[in-house]
Amino acid sequence: MYSNKPCTYASSFSDMSNVVVLDNGGGLIKAGHGGERDPAVIIPNCLYRPLSSKKFIHPSPTTTEDLTSAAVRRPIDRGYLINTDLQRDIWAHLFSSLLHVTPSASSLLLTEPLFTLPSIQRATDELVFEDFNFKSLFVADSPSLVHLYEASRRPYGLVSKAQCSLVVDCGFSFTHAAPVFQNFTVNYAVKRIDLGGKALTNYLKELVSYRAINVMDETFIIDDVKEKLCFVSLDVARDLQIARKRGKDNLLRCTYVLPDGVTHTKGFVKDPDAAKKYLSLSDGSLPKPLETEKDVGQTEVTNATRDRKRIDLTKNEFDLTNERFLVPEMIFQPADLGMNEAGLAECIVRSVNSCQSYLQSVLYESIILTGGSTLFPCFAERLERELRPLVPDNYQVKITTQEDPILGVWRGGSLLASSPDFEAMCVTKADYEELGSARCRRRFFH
Amino acid sequence: MEDERRMSTRTRKVAPKMAAALASADNRTQAALARLEALENDNAGIETVEINDDDDEASLDDDEEGYTQKRHSKGTKRKTRQAKALEDARKAPRSFLELLHEANLESLPPHVPSYLKAAVGPPSSTSRRYFCTVCGFAASYTCVKCGMRFCCIRCQNIHNDTRCLKFVA
Ligand SMILES: [Zn+2]
Ligand SMILES: [Zn+2]
Repeated sequence: MYSNKPCTYASSFSDMSNVVVLDNGGGLIKAGHGGERDPAVIIPNCLYRPLSSKKFIHPSPTTTEDLTSAAVRRPIDRGYLINTDLQRDIWAHLFSSLLHVTPSASSLLLTEPLFTLPSIQRATDELVFEDFNFKSLFVADSPSLVHLYEASRRPYGLVSKAQCSLVVDCGFSFTHAAPVFQNFTVNYAVKRIDLGGKALTNYLKELVSYRAINVMDETFIIDDVKEKLCFVSLDVARDLQIARKRGKDNLLRCTYVLPDGVTHTKGFVKDPDAAKKYLSLSDGSLPKPLETEKDVGQTEVTNATRDRKRIDLTKNEFDLTNERFLVPEMIFQPADLGMNEAGLAECIVRSVNSCQSYLQSVLYESIILTGGSTLFPCFAERLERELRPLVPDNYQVKITTQEDPILGVWRGGSLLASSPDFEAMCVTKADYEELGSARCRRRFFH
Repeated sequence: MEDERRMSTRTRKVAPKMAAALASADNRTQAALARLEALENDNAGIETVEINDDDDEASLDDDEEGYTQKRHSKGTKRKTRQAKALEDARKAPRSFLELLHEANLESLPPHVPSYLKAAVGPPSSTSRRYFCTVCGFAASYTCVKCGMRFCCIRCQNIHNDTRCLKFVA
């Protein structure tokens, strides 16, 4: 299909405005023009209704709206497009008011999750060709685009030379480990964990609501809390101990201030430098866990009583301690939550083991992390520590995080859209009208 | 005041799951499932149809302002309430799990990759860590009623007072 010969952006600007590249995520839409380095528009893939509004409205990229207790509607459920009416509404606004493109004069490169059901593919094609009248369509999956982008960035690196990588995409709706070989995602070896950024935010909501203040309706605020304050622990037992210490010894305690709707419409971290103190924790070795069990219990009770009092007094801020790492911990140990699913390291091993044996060592050596949920500090380190003991000793484990894990898929799409063979790979509206959705889809080899 | 409002919507959302859990012989399983299910929830600003089947007309219109109304406004305005309710139900987007069920992937030959076959599967180790649902620390006790964990008497009391069998959703 497409070649992964090294290709620079400068050489590929022909016709750039004619291909719309749309990474239609469950959380964020990344959209722009093929051939450009970055998407022109990044907006949440939803409509929301702030308390100040009677209607559901389109998020704007430059919003200053107070999103406290805003209701949210998303066209995507568990990663897949289920509400085409809502998606049509969002796309119409996107194409006309944000991207300023004319679909009937443009081609569309659209990302679609792996294993999209035929009924959803049909509905998507209808949307693209019948509602928006795009000239032509190419549907791509994220792992192959991420692979393409990384291979083109390092033409002489392993990913490019071996034409193979293991893309670990930890997104909004779910997490996939997907081997890519010769630019194709190896479908039969893909493994999925049903956990992504959305579940993590909801879990954090639950924890904060139980312990401090009811934030069950605060999707946008808690997303921000998660992004700013959560991290991956390299030693859960140690960090749990630190999290129950008093005063200055507690390197994990930090405070988030909720928007008050008057002086500030966005929440913020009270002391951002203090919130980063956990990074100073020397790796692995515990400072001094000299407290006896009894001391620990008492500390906790005093802290908790004090905290509860303070929350009652002010109500507009809350403290976080162990929530900061217990939330991302779910990706590594979904069983902690009662989910009967293996964690990320095992997910990767199962995916690699489903591939031919001659590929396995290369795959472990070219793991690429992408997706917003890989942005938690220490994510790659923790993954490597868990993965190493599960991988045969004579194999190397090498994990690379994409430079921008949120934009990586889009950039791969932009690159593909600007390749000379792109138009030939597309399905045209005429093809669609003649052959119908199912037969057109076969052309994308999904 | 703000908080009362939030509490009241929450109770409404939770009610059917509570009912299901209480009706079940196995509260703890139900509670665990409801909790996992809740992780995929959106604060969508509507009650789903089956939750308020006695008075869905009024609340649907009320809640669905803007978006759904726009969708229906092109149709005739004189439909009977019943016809309109039926149409709403038919048009309502189905959840992914419903679509998945319809796709009947189980019937595919075993070598065909599919959504179902891509599931990672259960962990190889059966050992599970338990964290207190109140404070987050290692928890060695289980609530007999709902199966949630707590670590000490203080957390147990908080659990009983404020969250036992209340699955936040
Ligand atoms: Zn506790
Ligand atoms: Zn209980």
